[in-house]
Amino acid sequence: MPSNGSNSGAAVWAILRKECRSEWRTRYGLNAALLFAITSLTSVSFAVGRLSDRPDLLSALLWVVLLFAALASMGHAFVREVEGHTLTLLRLVASPTAIALGKLLFNLVFLVVIEAVTVPLYLVLMGAPPPRWGEFLALLGLGSLALACATTLVGAVIAQTRGRGALFAGVALPLLLPVLAAAVSGMRSQWAGGPIVAEARLLAAYAVALFGVSLLLYDHLWED
Amino acid sequence: MNAALVSPATVTAAALETRELAHRYGRRVAIEPVSFRLDAPVIAAVTGPNGSGKTTLLKIAAGLLRAGRGTCALAVAGRDVPPSERRRWVGYAGPALSFYEELSVSENLTFVAETRGLEAPARAVGEALERVGLAARAADRVAALSSGMVQRLRLAFALLHRPPVLLLDEPGSHLDDEGRAMLARVIGEERRAGLVLIATNDEREWRLAEQRIELRGRGLGHPA
Repeated sequence: MPSNGSNSGAAVWAILRKECRSEWRTRYGLNAALLFAITSLTSVSFAVGRLSDRPDLLSALLWVVLLFAALASMGHAFVREVEGHTLTLLRLVASPTAIALGKLLFNLVFLVVIEAVTVPLYLVLMGAPPPRWGEFLALLGLGSLALACATTLVGAVIAQTRGRGALFAGVALPLLLPVLAAAVSGMRSQWAGGPIVAEARLLAAYAVALFGVSLLLYDHLWED
Repeated sequence: MNAALVSPATVTAAALETRELAHRYGRRVAIEPVSFRLDAPVIAAVTGPNGSGKTTLLKIAAGLLRAGRGTCALAVAGRDVPPSERRRWVGYAGPALSFYEELSVSENLTFVAETRGLEAPARAVGEALERVGLAARAADRVAALSSGMVQRLRLAFALLHRPPVLLLDEPGSHLDDEGRAMLARVIGEERRAGLVLIATNDEREWRLAEQRIELRGRGLGHPA
């Protein structure tokens, strides 16, 4: 007889580990994301030189690099399941919410790995002034959380549609703009020595709202 | 009623009942209204021409697809199981089921066992692979398996959590003689534990069944 203690926490954890193992084996997104991050960073640093006195440009470029490095893979978390015909397997073993939470956690881990490589390189190559680490990491964390929530939600919604590549950009843009605006503004303020409370609150509230909407939506997403 | 139902019902540990169940894909008729009841222990076969809705019927019973019209009720131990919870009680194997090619046979099943929250995933995986004769290929990546071996893996997937209801869509496809003997043995063993429903047009498979449900649609998903 089946174990009826089928537990969502265990399912989310198993899905996260499966995602990490699959990514490690195939490098679907990791190599492309790191290649994009490193080449764009190098090109920008050669083109404009060190930007230690331009916190506005430093902030914008940092988030642009992070966003595009991450998007290539994060938007495809569900598309890979559809194209590999493995979504049926997932639906037979876990609830849509557990699947989506597993994917969200993987997207967050993915972002952290990208940031662990990209951010130190960025700070060195662009000659950025030493950040206020508490504020800097808080903004990076909240921005990443909001980014992961938005891309996971959009990825789940468009996964079974036709023309999903084009749809992803169209649907994700309005969801990502507030994240980018708040993250860039907060980061600029952080480097300029100003407060970041308003931006941090906005990012946190946005992430919580997206997460809440996701939980409401996921159970209805893949009903045929 | 569009189904020819043979032989009386017996035990009620698990019961599957459809009432005027019908389904369409757009304007295409997938299932003409069909009513039947199956009570465990039983092996039943759904037969009918291509496009008469055998696969659709099994997907609805598994909770993968919402019934267009009518009802498809599953009860286990006297309790109704809604479609969203059927994954716990149903083992499903069908052509639509694919696995992660970058993972090995045992990694795929271990992921499934962990996601299902089974208490001893490694033991459950070992037993399931042993039953379908795939234990020797446990370490091989799914990408390296033949079609027949993938079919055995589908069966192992369905058996893994020892469900009281087994839904098998063309379970003998790609299997050699030894594989078909294994299939007949497994289906016989599962009958003792519950309800087995096979969708097939292969005489070797429907002859294993005690009851036969003939879908009498015109086939090929005819337009309404």
